[in-house]
Amino acid sequence: MEVAVIDERCVGQGMCVLYAPQAFVLSDEDGRSQARFRQVPPELEDAVRRAAQACPEQAIIVTE
Amino acid sequence: MDQKQGTKANPIAFDHESPEHAENWPDEFREMREKCPVAWTDRHGGYWVATSYDAVVEMARDPETFSSAKSFDPETASGSGGITIPFTPIPRGLPVESDPPEWNLFRDFINRRFAPKAVEGFRQDARNFATALLNRVIETGEMDLVNDFTGPVPAMVTMKLMGLPLSEWREFADPLHTMVFTPKEAPEYAQVVAGVDWIFQRCAEEFMRYKGLPEEPNLLSYFAHQPVGGRLLELNDVLSLANNIIIGGVDTTTALTTHALEYLHHHSEAKARLMAEPSLVPFAREEFLRVFSPIHCLARNVTRSVEVAGQDVDEGDRVMLVWAAANRDPAVFESPDEVNFDRASNRHLAFGSGIHRCIGSSFARMMFEEMIAQMFARIPDWTIDYEGARRYRSIGTINGWETMPIRFPPGPKVPCDFEI
Repeated sequence: MEVAVIDERCVGQGMCVLYAPQAFVLSDEDGRSQARFRQVPPELEDAVRRAAQACPEQAIIVTE
Repeated sequence: MDQKQGTKANPIAFDHESPEHAENWPDEFREMREKCPVAWTDRHGGYWVATSYDAVVEMARDPETFSSAKSFDPETASGSGGITIPFTPIPRGLPVESDPPEWNLFRDFINRRFAPKAVEGFRQDARNFATALLNRVIETGEMDLVNDFTGPVPAMVTMKLMGLPLSEWREFADPLHTMVFTPKEAPEYAQVVAGVDWIFQRCAEEFMRYKGLPEEPNLLSYFAHQPVGGRLLELNDVLSLANNIIIGGVDTTTALTTHALEYLHHHSEAKARLMAEPSLVPFAREEFLRVFSPIHCLARNVTRSVEVAGQDVDEGDRVMLVWAAANRDPAVFESPDEVNFDRASNRHLAFGSGIHRCIGSSFARMMFEEMIAQMFARIPDWTIDYEGARRYRSIGTINGWETMPIRFPPGPKVPCDFEI
């Protein structure tokens, strides 16, 4: 499974770090999110899926 | 409401500011969302009301078509646009009442001061303020939850952020709360307005004072020393920034925390669970944000004719994006009226959506955590005096509580680095 944050869509809602703090990090500059990796470790797949669903901006793209 | 209603020819009877709406809003929105998720009302000069999740995000994410910009002429006290309905005859807030590219300039200027890392730098302050405020009342066994605790904590954190003297916390906290619910007709309204004016006068005075000092780590000093787009800020832009930060930051977090503590008062199982499982608190917080959405709705201004949810929205129209209604849309949230800490995912819009997403959301989240932790640790058993408690009679601006007297077993003061 792969994950990416679409930069133009993210506005820093911060829901991703609530559901998957091991997978996303919010910028110290503007609070917007970045994925910590592209390839998702198997143990984080569920958390990353929930984070993607919880994003109000639909800025997280998960490729199964 | 029949199927043909909700157009300009056949408007619905709706006013987000009415006391009836404050009483029945979940039912009212349920019906509107089902029958006409973008509907025209002729109140306040006419505006569209968007109540479905999809319609709200569609407009919030398109700032080119749905503008937030506001113009205001202080000479005539008239203007147009902005994010309130009816139009508020005061200077605009910044960055919230601007559009790109101007928006980028101001938002980029302050974003770093509101990012999660910067907010963590205020956590100990929030904890100290919460501790000191409870020390004031804990030996008496009673307090007004709103006026003694959930109001002052966000007010004091905001003062510290801005660089305003904390000794003035009472004069700062009270008008920011009373202005939200005092009707314009009320005899005390003039006094409330004078109190709010005083706050912005203090911002102006402190801004001018910071100009003569080396830069300090607070916003007014930052505004006094750092250029935006190559030039130093004028006082009117400083007051617009202060307006957005202070009005956006104070009574909203108050409302959220008060609603949460009220809910937990009469849901003892939920309360016991949160006390036993502190890691659940952030998820509970997001659910309280969804269900109680402190900022009920905000407006936009249509810049070109467009179709939304089957309605022809015309250039020059105003639209109201109802976050509180979107947050209870059953198409997105199962059993939307229920508070459920175990929701698999919660993509609520309590902080808005699109570029104007609440800049202070990390502050709100942090202050909520600190206030709840302080209550759980020191006043775990509170009862609400519902005879004395009062909700806002109009929730069109903020959905909150005017006052909430509570009683509890008295406890001891605890040592605190901050004295009130």
